[in-house]
Amino acid sequence: MAHDYHGRAMPPLISLRSLSKRYSSVTALEDLTLDLEPGIIGLVGSNGAGKSTLLKILLGLVAPTAGSAQVLGRDVVREGPEIRQFVGYMPEHDALPPDSSATDFVAHLAQVSGLPATAARERTAEVLRHVGLYEERYRLMGGYSTGMRQRVKLAQALVHDPSLLLLDEPTNGLDPSGREEMLDLVRRTGREFGIAVVVASHLLGEIERVCDFLVAIEGGRLLRADSLESFTRRTGVLAVEVEDGRDAFAAALVQAGLQVRTDGHLVLIGLTDDRPYDLVRDAAADLGLPLVRMEQRRHSLEDLFRDEAVAG
Amino acid sequence: MTGPNRAETPAAKPQSAESAGLAGAPASTDAPVNASSAASAGSIYDLGYRRYDGVRLGRRHAVRALYAYSLRGTFGIGRSGRAKIAPFGLAFIALLPALVSAGISALASQAGGGPALQSPIRYATYLAFSATILILFCAAQAPELVGRDQRYSVLPLYFSRALRRSDYALAKLGALWTALALVFVAPEALIFAGRVLAARDVPAAFTENLADVPAILAITAIVALVMGGLSLAIASFTPRRAYATTTIIAGFVVPAIVASIVAELSGGTIATIAVLLDPSDLLDGANGWLFGQNPGNPVLTAANLPGAVYVPVLGVYVLATVAATIRRYLRITA
Repeated sequence: MAHDYHGRAMPPLISLRSLSKRYSSVTALEDLTLDLEPGIIGLVGSNGAGKSTLLKILLGLVAPTAGSAQVLGRDVVREGPEIRQFVGYMPEHDALPPDSSATDFVAHLAQVSGLPATAARERTAEVLRHVGLYEERYRLMGGYSTGMRQRVKLAQALVHDPSLLLLDEPTNGLDPSGREEMLDLVRRTGREFGIAVVVASHLLGEIERVCDFLVAIEGGRLLRADSLESFTRRTGVLAVEVEDGRDAFAAALVQAGLQVRTDGHLVLIGLTDDRPYDLVRDAAADLGLPLVRMEQRRHSLEDLFRDEAVAG
Repeated sequence: MTGPNRAETPAAKPQSAESAGLAGAPASTDAPVNASSAASAGSIYDLGYRRYDGVRLGRRHAVRALYAYSLRGTFGIGRSGRAKIAPFGLAFIALLPALVSAGISALASQAGGGPALQSPIRYATYLAFSATILILFCAAQAPELVGRDQRYSVLPLYFSRALRRSDYALAKLGALWTALALVFVAPEALIFAGRVLAARDVPAAFTENLADVPAILAITAIVALVMGGLSLAIASFTPRRAYATTTIIAGFVVPAIVASIVAELSGGTIATIAVLLDPSDLLDGANGWLFGQNPGNPVLTAANLPGAVYVPVLGVYVLATVAATIRRYLRITA
């Protein structure tokens, strides 16, 4: 348990006890018990794994069927409005009325979070600037691009300066550069401003770049909750791309005693020491294959989830 | 970080307001996302995130804010010009007979006409003029008030804030009630002003007309509660504006038609039941009872209810619509 600077014991940021949520025929969450401390927490799992349901329970939007959940030391069922004054939520889907301007709408939502009118307007201007909306903020949101709308959604989640930010698939619908910018905003929000963040995503590749703690759920059950470091502590992977002859190449490497897996054009080789580099060179030379690309990768989470086998 | 009462903010302490103001122009030319990457350097151009250490006013403030925003929205204020046409147009039409009446009594008093010239437009008869317009107002604005938030999935943004689902429903109801009360009471106030100011003896006319004010306020409240309650209960069930509008109009018109047919054909107990289910006739009855006049409505005559019944029945009616609206929001997926 963490302590504040008076030495008092502080409740965990989020505390789940045997939390379950069942809809009539579907079990969305099954017996989750977990304590989370502030930081950037990635909530990963495939679509339908129960990520959105968990976020909604933390907000008090959805009541758990069994078990309990506490956020910032308060019970989500009984103290919803009190918790939500200090929590920001960015929903997965589009949630903005097209006939309002970003400024008007975000300032209004700031007041609904409990901020006085003047503070709401000031914070709105700051937060919209912070997410990168300038002159556009006076225009009606109906004319915004997806990227701009995602920014407004992030801004409305930040406008009341929450202690905890819950983001549901924040890069949804964004192009690659938009994704980068959104991830950078998330990273800075967590690191520089000291706001605890929970990012739900099915894109492991993205989430592992911003978070420092990971919670993996699948089919409503907790797979694993650990620091990112311990998730990826294993050794790396060498990815090699060859033209044609991929299978022969892989077979040659297996014969040489390496752990090999193929993925599209790529041959992925478990990397425990420097030996595979020479073997790759030799195998390519023996088979007369042109090497297109060779890169060392950190063991990506996606590999961990898909196939535990590569490096060991 | 501590819990909700967090006081310390490890990073990005608030900067002075001036530095934020100074920095406005240059930053807008920067790449937006990197505008404050210099946060740690403490540059005055940094527009980075600032913590908020001010007060948080909680749930009551949240509800009030939603109410005020919704009330303005009911009249299209803060929206495009087009959004103002229906509410202000209808409010003006509701005002028109009173305007004409006040104008005529002003002319009449100039021409030396006395109270003998009794206008047909009186406090007690105004409901007959404005009821249709109020129904149209409800049909146009209630879907706007609640359907919009469902149509564009805005509800999660509200329900994730410092209010409860029932608070949302009540704030929206309050906004529509207030709007309807304003639209209904404005012409009554105009009649009042016309009668008092056009009179030879203004103080005497004021005292005389003051006697009607309690009834005016009572019927204003009742009309607003009943019409607003029914319209919002209907509108809250669909994100589709066209459905909501049609159903609201039907919700007022169909029971009235049924009641008049039943009264015509049978009378007696069946007519009484039909009237008890018809908000328009009930409002007419309550209006007559409050002003101490016979509504002269053949359907009410057929039903033959005691005058004191109308208001309590309407009270039950309002409670039912409020309960339906709240229940809808407790169950809606968000």
